[in-house]
Amino acid sequence: MFAFIVGRILAAIPVLVIVSLLTFVIIYFVPGDVASELAGPTATPDEIEQIRDRLGLNQPFVTRLVSWYGALLQGDLGHSFLLNQTVSHAILERLPVTLSVTAYALVIVLLIGMTTGIIAAVRANTWVDQGMMGIALIGLSLPDFWLGLVMIYVFAVVLGWMPTGGYVEFSESPLGWLRMTTMPALSLALTQVGLLARMTRSGMLEVLRQDYVRTARAKGLPGWMVVGKHALANVMVQVVTVVGVSVGILLGGQIVIESVFSLPGVGRLIVGAILRRDYPVIQGGLLLTATIFVVVNLIVDLLYAYFDPRIRYGR
Amino acid sequence: MINRRQFNRTLGLGASAIAMSSLGAPAIAQRRGGDVIVATQAAPPTLDAVTSSAEASRNITLHVFETLLARDEAANVKPDLAESVDVSSDGLQYKFTLRRGVKFHNGKVMTSADVKGSLERFARVGNSRQVMAPVAAIETPDSNTVICKLSAPSPGFLEGMSSPRAPAAIVPAEEAGKAAGQMELIGTGPFRFVEFRPDSHALLRRFDDYSQNTNYQARDGFAGKKTAHFDSVRFRFMPEAGARSAGLQTGELHVLDSLDALSAQRLQSNSALKMHQMLPWAYQTLILNHSQAPMNNLKLRQAIQAALNMEEIMAISTNGLFRLEHGWQHPGTQYFAGDVGKPLYNQKNAALARRLLQESGYRNEQLTVLTDSNIGGHQATGEVAQEQLRAIGINIRLNVVDWPTAFQMRTRPEGWHIWTLQMGIEPYEGPYNVVSFFAGANPAQHARDEGIEAANTKLNTALQLADRQAAVREFQARMYDNVVAIKCGDTGRIQATRANVENYRPYRIPRMWDCWFS
Repeated sequence: MFAFIVGRILAAIPVLVIVSLLTFVIIYFVPGDVASELAGPTATPDEIEQIRDRLGLNQPFVTRLVSWYGALLQGDLGHSFLLNQTVSHAILERLPVTLSVTAYALVIVLLIGMTTGIIAAVRANTWVDQGMMGIALIGLSLPDFWLGLVMIYVFAVVLGWMPTGGYVEFSESPLGWLRMTTMPALSLALTQVGLLARMTRSGMLEVLRQDYVRTARAKGLPGWMVVGKHALANVMVQVVTVVGVSVGILLGGQIVIESVFSLPGVGRLIVGAILRRDYPVIQGGLLLTATIFVVVNLIVDLLYAYFDPRIRYGR
Repeated sequence: MINRRQFNRTLGLGASAIAMSSLGAPAIAQRRGGDVIVATQAAPPTLDAVTSSAEASRNITLHVFETLLARDEAANVKPDLAESVDVSSDGLQYKFTLRRGVKFHNGKVMTSADVKGSLERFARVGNSRQVMAPVAAIETPDSNTVICKLSAPSPGFLEGMSSPRAPAAIVPAEEAGKAAGQMELIGTGPFRFVEFRPDSHALLRRFDDYSQNTNYQARDGFAGKKTAHFDSVRFRFMPEAGARSAGLQTGELHVLDSLDALSAQRLQSNSALKMHQMLPWAYQTLILNHSQAPMNNLKLRQAIQAALNMEEIMAISTNGLFRLEHGWQHPGTQYFAGDVGKPLYNQKNAALARRLLQESGYRNEQLTVLTDSNIGGHQATGEVAQEQLRAIGINIRLNVVDWPTAFQMRTRPEGWHIWTLQMGIEPYEGPYNVVSFFAGANPAQHARDEGIEAANTKLNTALQLADRQAAVREFQARMYDNVVAIKCGDTGRIQATRANVENYRPYRIPRMWDCWFS
């Protein structure tokens, strides 16, 4: 297992190098630059050029690339052109917001998605199954930002139960954190709930037809134990696969949801950086996102081995 | 030497102007206390006031920092931390007498050393440091006097010094030496800085030792007698317009720095809210690229000018929040040029436009309108103008990109013919940054215009106000006669508050002094 983990980590390095290189190249060739933002709309080209010189944006492509990778190898993601702080600091400052909302959304996805999928499978071809899968399909079809805006209107404006947005740290006020993050987490989660529910249902239906399940029922085990222990364990590989994909989608969804709910997270940082062409922040933010994806995939692979003993990595 | 009275007269002001501002003094009971929450669309890139021209920054920093001179309600220059300013007759020396006993937020009393250090910092790291370019030396003959000696006359010096764009904030001398963004946020304003969380909020608290400017009787633009009633002001950065208006409806927010016209109409009947309209806030323009054929042809530019229906352009691009106004300076300000150019504004004369187009020898070359989807009204302005010009027979296409791309593309002489640009803070500041935008080595229209150059030179050298006003009239005449660029009309802005926010008056920023909770 150790060799497997080391192997996967080593395999991730070229992935990250390619992602960072692609990011760098795309940003380099995208028109518009931060010097224009800094100089203001009535600045002359000379003033803009002076700022470009100061920020090193007039250096040749290769020089900038080598400089960026050189710093990266020393763990330095660079300094933001606009935020007056290092990229690492800017990201670390906002990362807890993004990760905590993603984790909260994931919990919702797992709890509702799996429960719905299992119930639908157990009650297959009944109105319960049809109803749940219908709702799951609706959830799967709704854009998260639209759902977020509707939630703001219904739960904040009409009912007054929830705040319209903002963020309180969990350490500052757990209840406040819950109030601030519930609607964003739900907006993100509902699309993935639909996906997971449908995958769980189809996996569970397949497993419930297996001989060992019939045997378990025949020897008199209660239904909840048959489903919850014997059948569920064999659906988990499929669930983990979906969850791995979902984590990526939840993280990606934060880019919009953080703006809708005024959350000071990494998604909003990256969007702001793109709109202002703050290159170091864009590069750092995207590299971080790619790293999280790689780590999530690694965890998914490890969970495969945990849930399915037939899988023997590294042998 | 010019004394304070002469200075005020030179600026077209007088005692009456100050007295007028006091008419706004509220007759209703003022209540102290409460924590007001203001929602702004954008998060500030920095709170180091001098280093940023971002509106999001000055929304906050102008509560914390003050300047020697500031703009009044009508954008005229008024003393703020300065008691007075004496300008020498040759325009080479500006002697600022400081108000006595003004305290910084750290308790220290402001002296000329602090002002000198602050102005040097403004010249070193300020976003508007070109204002200080003519200053050869700053002297402090005593603790209450600062003298700026200029190497050449700069009639726009006081306008620049008083501009809120990237304000020449006065800070303690020990902070003034620090690099951009490294300074402690200590000013003299009615609120002191407490906390800034990027992309989340900034928190200010009332400065109880605030030194009010008792030369005034009430607030007056960024100058005047400021009274902080709220205990704290929290600025929340909320990019989503729907979330901001929802927050105002629920009472979670008390003030919005902007509300789009359609939402304002929708919420107009809500008695818990108040809408505050500012018109003019900015103006919409079409910048023309004279360096590219066929735009280097005056007849073609005149055809474009003749064809445009400004009412249609403005109504669509602003959702109805506009006024038709030809002036490149706002009416009611001292540089407003009257009816100069007015006959050529909003002609909407398709027959004339077609005739001019024919006379121009236009051979169906394709024109490109460069616009962006980020800044309100730009794209709609481009789209409507495109349709109107197509209707007279011009082969025209729209290139919609994001703002940074459009901004960079317009710096090049090729690739575009017409660029949509909204100008807000520039006309508010006065004529200097408007005129210079079309003058100098890199004019916006990419071709030197001798008429504009002459007006710019006169504006920047004439010591008499009347001569500078004449320069602005000449500038405006040239803008229309030579179709240097096209002004579409004035746009407005709506700021919104909860109904329990009393005595609020809209301005360039949501001012949280001299208003209170009922």
